[in-house]
Amino acid sequence: MAIVGILLWWYTDGWKQTLRSSGARLRSLLDYFSIDILLRTLFSPFRQIAASGVDGPIGLKLRAFGDRLVSRLVGAVVRTIVMLVGITTILLMFVWSVISAVLWGILPLLPIIGLILMLIGWIPWKIL
Amino acid sequence: MEDPIAYNYHSVRAGKARLAVHLQGMPVQLLVVTAWMLVVLGALLVVSGMALGWLVGSLGVLPWMFAQWYRGELRHLPTGKGSSVDDLMSGDVLGQLPAKPTPQDVAKAVGNVTSGQFMGVRFGLTPTLLGHLASSDPNDMPALWREAEAVRDQAGVPHYSGSVLAAALVRTTPGYKQLIAQIHLDDGDMIEGVRWQQHVRDIITNFSKPRRTGGIARDWSFGYIPLLSRFGQNISQQIQGGDILAVDVASHIEAVAQLTQTFANNGRQNAALVGPSGAGKTTIIHAFAQQLLDADAKLPDSLKFRQVFILDSSALIASAPGRGELEELIMRVLGEAYHAKNIIVCLDNAQLFFEEGIGSVNLTNVIQPIIEAGNLRMILSMDEQRYLEIADKNPSLVNSLNRISVAPATQAETMLVMQEKLLRVEPQQNALYTYQALKEAYRLSERYMHDIAQPGRSIKLLESAANYSENRLVTMNSVQLAIEKTMDVKVSVASEGADREKLLNLEKTIHERMINQKRAVQVVSDALRRARTGVRNENRPIGTFLFLGPTGVGKTELAKALADVYFGGEGKMIRLDLNEFVRPDDVARLIADGARNAGSLTAQVMKQPFSVVLLDEIEKAAPEVLSTLLQMLDEGILRDEKNREVSFRDAIIVATSNAGADRIREYIERGYDVGQFEAQITDELISSGQFRPEFLNRFDEIVVFTPLTKEDLLKVVDIMIAGVNKTLAPQHIAVEVEPEAKQVLVDKGYDPRLGARPMRRIVQKAVENTIAKAMLAGILDNGGKLVLKKIHINLALGIADDASDESE
Repeated sequence: MAIVGILLWWYTDGWKQTLRSSGARLRSLLDYFSIDILLRTLFSPFRQIAASGVDGPIGLKLRAFGDRLVSRLVGAVVRTIVMLVGITTILLMFVWSVISAVLWGILPLLPIIGLILMLIGWIPWKIL
Repeated sequence: MEDPIAYNYHSVRAGKARLAVHLQGMPVQLLVVTAWMLVVLGALLVVSGMALGWLVGSLGVLPWMFAQWYRGELRHLPTGKGSSVDDLMSGDVLGQLPAKPTPQDVAKAVGNVTSGQFMGVRFGLTPTLLGHLASSDPNDMPALWREAEAVRDQAGVPHYSGSVLAAALVRTTPGYKQLIAQIHLDDGDMIEGVRWQQHVRDIITNFSKPRRTGGIARDWSFGYIPLLSRFGQNISQQIQGGDILAVDVASHIEAVAQLTQTFANNGRQNAALVGPSGAGKTTIIHAFAQQLLDADAKLPDSLKFRQVFILDSSALIASAPGRGELEELIMRVLGEAYHAKNIIVCLDNAQLFFEEGIGSVNLTNVIQPIIEAGNLRMILSMDEQRYLEIADKNPSLVNSLNRISVAPATQAETMLVMQEKLLRVEPQQNALYTYQALKEAYRLSERYMHDIAQPGRSIKLLESAANYSENRLVTMNSVQLAIEKTMDVKVSVASEGADREKLLNLEKTIHERMINQKRAVQVVSDALRRARTGVRNENRPIGTFLFLGPTGVGKTELAKALADVYFGGEGKMIRLDLNEFVRPDDVARLIADGARNAGSLTAQVMKQPFSVVLLDEIEKAAPEVLSTLLQMLDEGILRDEKNREVSFRDAIIVATSNAGADRIREYIERGYDVGQFEAQITDELISSGQFRPEFLNRFDEIVVFTPLTKEDLLKVVDIMIAGVNKTLAPQHIAVEVEPEAKQVLVDKGYDPRLGARPMRRIVQKAVENTIAKAMLAGILDNGGKLVLKKIHINLALGIADDASDESE
């Protein structure tokens, strides 16, 4: 009964749970790197430094404009770096999720594979 | 259709449940360890060139799969698709049941699971009690399953948990209502218990789910806020720290929705939460802040991840003592909040920013333009009275605010809030609260705590009750003790032996200092017994009495005796001479605010609600004053000039009057008994216009005091001499008055119109003066005794006498 029960769960709800937890991990990473926010605010002034408007002579206005430009540039650079790191991590996590989902499916077969390997006496470095 | 009361021991789900019970704890950990050991061993064998390693290592998968199965399905076995008992029963209980279970087996299983233990700790439905109640007859099972289904249905929970089964076990016991009444529970309470247990489980499940909060880049496009961080409290940051916060009260959910709506619209970006202190305004602000941080919440982008800061008025005032400095500082702080673009500033107790006082300063000139411009998001919170005061002083400011009313919570809502609050309070206090404690906290706080609203007042009482816990369990008694100690009232039903003895012998104790007036003593004693056994109407004072009779017959003395015997001292008497309230405008003095007039009736009762209120010479009070007292007599409530309710429901109200004294004397002289003319006296007081019938009708009892006879006065003399001896006791001096001498005192002190009053003067003149002279003359030293004879009394009172006895 237990063997039937475990296999039934393994290939139905168990598999779904693995996919769900992989999904949750991906969502958590997406939230952590907040790619959507980074994209939306790519050219926003970083931490609002020099973001407010200035009223005064043209020289002052030009200086404020320059400051804003630098602030936006700094923001864009920082955000781009974080986006790249984030996307890479998320992609790696996605690949790992796919692998673990596939592994989940073949895991119950491992004892049979092990038995076969034992019977044929396969040791990798001995063949090489 | 499946039989809802069928229990199939051999069903797949029941089998899984039993397996789960066997695996829980150590076995599942052993499985994991075995799995790793096999993998490592297999790897070592392969590395050492033995192909057997493949099989050994791969076999490690099997225990690991079992462990995964346990964690993924068996540990929290999902409810089955059918409607039979084994489909709907929670796995932890199901796994413990034998093939043919009896109610006792169920009780045993319930006692071993968390949800069953919840009912044991919170409700007193302990495994031992359930074991005693449950039968050992398997034929009783269908009835138990039917009851479990009824409980599950009423509570609206998905399965037969330990709490459902505990309630069902109780409900299948004959005469269970009487049984649970002994632990202060009823049917509804048990259903509430099942819901509570399920609710806690849901909250914990939700809390453990991963939350999306915006990630590292969330605040990068918003400004730095060093000043605001110094002078404000970042609510959002606190919530992000992982506080369990649940808002399930309908009015609070609505208020949070209104806040969201207000800030999502293009109108003025402010909201004023108006409601009494304790109604949950701060909780609403916290819940709103939590919602803003939830990436999954349906919010406009302009609100997502905004942070709520509560400004600290005292820190601001302390940092800017100079003239104009504070205005400048607040402008900088608010300017910073505006430029940061993600800040919602909250002025909790907003009146502190709009009035001059200790810890508050009037910043209307600075804040009002900002509110009116509506660019900086602001939340203000204040009580209704302050809102009205601000509206009175500055209507345009109030017109610019988007008002959101916060009403006090109902009983059901308060219970729910308390249950949720316990998740935080219990770990802090290192204590567990019973359901009965929660119910009692609501009842008693509703009755005695008027400074804040629900649910705040219940929570306040509940927290203070932890100091009176029994083995860290906060029970109903702990709550009663807490209110008794903090409010100086008695709320528990008399149960201790000494307390019961005292109540049963009240008359005797009072008569130790009161002569005659048996009926008066009887009626007040009855009222006290009713109060302390919980059979009185709790929405009225303990007792309201009108004492009628001539002066000096013991009306005031009885009030004092009551305060002493029952309330613990004569200091527990609040006395008002109503001959000082003869003008209509004296009503204002009667109900004056305690801060202005500490001697007003309302102020004194507010400070000391558990007392005897003596209204002396009530016939002399102005009719307006008497009309004001009507509600106090009727409902035990009087409103002071600030419209605050002052409760007289734990007081005994005694009004005294000399009205009709001559008629009483006349009746007595004509040989009538009090009982024969009492009603007539009342009628005469009404017909003569001295009292209005609606006023007299408000009293529980109108008691006529009879004039004292000479025999009564002899007893009065004894009491007075006992009083003198008590005064002299520290000096170890005693005085004794011979019977003949006492008679002289009575003859001299008797005045039918003035009762016992002249006796005090006579005893002072004849006894106390004689003792004083004897002490000064050296006749009476410490440890001595003075026996006063007739001659001494005659001498002291200047009465000619031929006797010539001497003192010892």
